[in-house]
Amino acid sequence: MNTEKENRIDEILNSLEGCTRAAAPAFFYTRLKARMEKETTGTHSWMLRPAFTLAGLLLILVVNVFVLYNRSTAFKENTAGVETESIQSLAAEYRLNDNSNQYDLNQVK
Amino acid sequence: MTEFELIQGLRNGDETAFRFLVDTYQDRVFNTAMGIVQNAEDAEDVAQEVFIQVFRSIQQFKAESKLSTWIYRITTTRALDLLRSRKSKKRFGFIQRLLGDNNEPAQEIPDFNHPGIQLDRKEKAARLFKVIGQLPENQKIAFTLHKLEDLSYQEVSEVMQTTVAAVESLMHRARQNLRKLLEKEPD
Repeated sequence: MNTEKENRIDEILNSLEGCTRAAAPAFFYTRLKARMEKETTGTHSWMLRPAFTLAGLLLILVVNVFVLYNRSTAFKENTAGVETESIQSLAAEYRLNDNSNQYDLNQVK
Repeated sequence: MTEFELIQGLRNGDETAFRFLVDTYQDRVFNTAMGIVQNAEDAEDVAQEVFIQVFRSIQQFKAESKLSTWIYRITTTRALDLLRSRKSKKRFGFIQRLLGDNNEPAQEIPDFNHPGIQLDRKEKAARLFKVIGQLPENQKIAFTLHKLEDLSYQEVSEVMQTTVAAVESLMHRARQNLRKLLEKEPD
């Protein structure tokens, strides 16, 4: 590397020498206090963040699916019982399951 | 107000003490944040977060180090957090552009001009800040605290919770890396 470039790099590296501290902008304290007050009053603002909203919606959806699934299973079980009962009562009413009724065809004559 | 009185006042939630703290440290915090995030608006945001954190966690401050050391530590941590979130946003924006969700071209970040730099050195300092931004985090912190805040190696080591020898090594590597990066840059 040539000396000219090396010198230029040294100048760049030393360009912060004698630099003064950057002052905070005017009314910094006023803005800071305003932010602190806003943060203490709006404590629930985090709940409105998209991630929390999406997670909440997802949770509601999962609970709904779970409840619907459980209810449909219970309904199937209940209706299955009712069907058997009604068939049996129908059979009893018409004496379909009664084997004691024997008809003597010769007596009809 | 002595440091002890200041800490006691802050612990008691005294507003005068808080005002005194902000008046005393606002420029140091802002200047440090500015050197790391290289943007005045972001630096102010970081500075506000630092004072809010100091106010909220003063009960946990054990006074094992100086108050200024603790404040510098919070400042560097907060400033690095902001840089990380900026990086992840940039990555997300890149993915969005790849997916075609956002067709706007990426915004070029303008050169950073520190307000405390002498006028005849502004251009060179802007080039230096550009390469400082590419340094690894710990080298960036050591270089900024030493060069911009004028802290001694001893003070930098206390802020970074390391040894003076480690800070010397960090500074040496930072200068080497900056030199390499500047060599690659077009004149």
